[in-house]
Amino acid sequence: MSLPSATSAGELRNLAERIRQGDASAETELVHEFSHRIFVMGVVRTHDREAARELVQDVLMAVIGALRNGQLQDADKLAAFVHGTARNLINNQLRAQSQAPALDPLPEDLAQACSAEQLEDAERVGLVHQALERLGQQDRKILWMTLVQGHKPGEIAAALGLSAEVVRTRKTRAVKKVADLIRKKLSRT
Amino acid sequence: MNCTEVEEREILERYLLDRLTEPEREEFEKHYFECGTCFAQVQTGLALQTELRRQPAMPVRARGASLLRTWVWAPAFAAIVILLTAGIWWYSARNRQPLQQVAAPPPKVSPNVPVKVQSPSTTPSLEELARVEPPPYSAVVLRGAEDESHEAFHKAMQYYVKEDYAHAIPGVRAAVEASPQTASFSFYLGACYLLTGQTDLAIISFRKTVSLGDSAYSESAHFYLAKAYLGNKDVARAQDELQRTVQFHGSLEAPAAEILRQLRN
Repeated sequence: MSLPSATSAGELRNLAERIRQGDASAETELVHEFSHRIFVMGVVRTHDREAARELVQDVLMAVIGALRNGQLQDADKLAAFVHGTARNLINNQLRAQSQAPALDPLPEDLAQACSAEQLEDAERVGLVHQALERLGQQDRKILWMTLVQGHKPGEIAAALGLSAEVVRTRKTRAVKKVADLIRKKLSRT
Repeated sequence: MNCTEVEEREILERYLLDRLTEPEREEFEKHYFECGTCFAQVQTGLALQTELRRQPAMPVRARGASLLRTWVWAPAFAAIVILLTAGIWWYSARNRQPLQQVAAPPPKVSPNVPVKVQSPSTTPSLEELARVEPPPYSAVVLRGAEDESHEAFHKAMQYYVKEDYAHAIPGVRAAVEASPQTASFSFYLGACYLLTGQTDLAIISFRKTVSLGDSAYSESAHFYLAKAYLGNKDVARAQDELQRTVQFHGSLEAPAAEILRQLRN
């Protein structure tokens, strides 16, 4: 599993150009760079992990096709182009799931790079489980009330007998604690 | 959008709960497509949400419980206040007596006149009155093939049953768009909005349910519309909707009347 990369704007510009010139390794890099982001975006927008997994392939295929044909006018805007393509395909799917035109599947090697196992981040979820166990009961409650029940800090504060400011601070600290643990563990692998 | 804004405006939580406006969502996604730090937070947030949803519900003392406790202790508290006030009144009256004898004749006070004591306020706040229990829902399976809107609705309401109101919204909204004349769709869309704190949208949906005319959901729509107005601290409109609820003489008559009574206190 890879950590989210922080590819510079220059590298992304270069990536777009290499794909236009037919560099196969650049296509794999593009898949690594964006497949997780497209998947997360798909899950949040469709609430359907299966659909999100399929979307990743469709979006990447559409993006790679466009890049191969030199359709990206401004190579500086590669991230925005991928995001825009993802948004359009997700919206199309939400509007008419069965009527969406079927795109060609990704070639085998690229499809491997965004396999279900990788996208689902099973390892990340496992680490989150461990991290949650390390948090105090009240911090877990704050996270649960925020991310599952959708309560606002003021409402959580009233229910737990805390101030809204304390709830905000503890929530931020808890998320960072979990994120730090994941980063440390993943950077060792 | 930048990383500081994401934290200050609680963008991540609102994104995961589907509570950003479309332009906000678009802006945030564009940001995390380029920002590794924020994308790591989104991934962690999503994994946390997934994991927490798998875990059993955590017992949280609801505000109703603390309110109940207030009510339980209210008589004892009132008694203490009465005793203290009576004691202070008696003590000060006794100390004032000589002065009063010089200054003016003592007023004729009937010993039967009760001492008016300001009792502690036990009237629930607007916020407490605006609290809602989710309207009950049980899937009604119609004979024969269901149309697409009903299918979408039933699928979405599976989230509702699991108290995941935020995730129920897109499906219920799609059902409303596909079948705008179905009162149950509009009603439960309103309920989902209300239960996720989106009172303005809840008001629109409940008003639409009401506008569809006499239906099994009219009474409930008026009642929850009142709750939404209470959430917006619009007491006048809330009272109006509660009175309409009472006029149905249905199952919500008693709770509506009780809230009206508390609002008048």
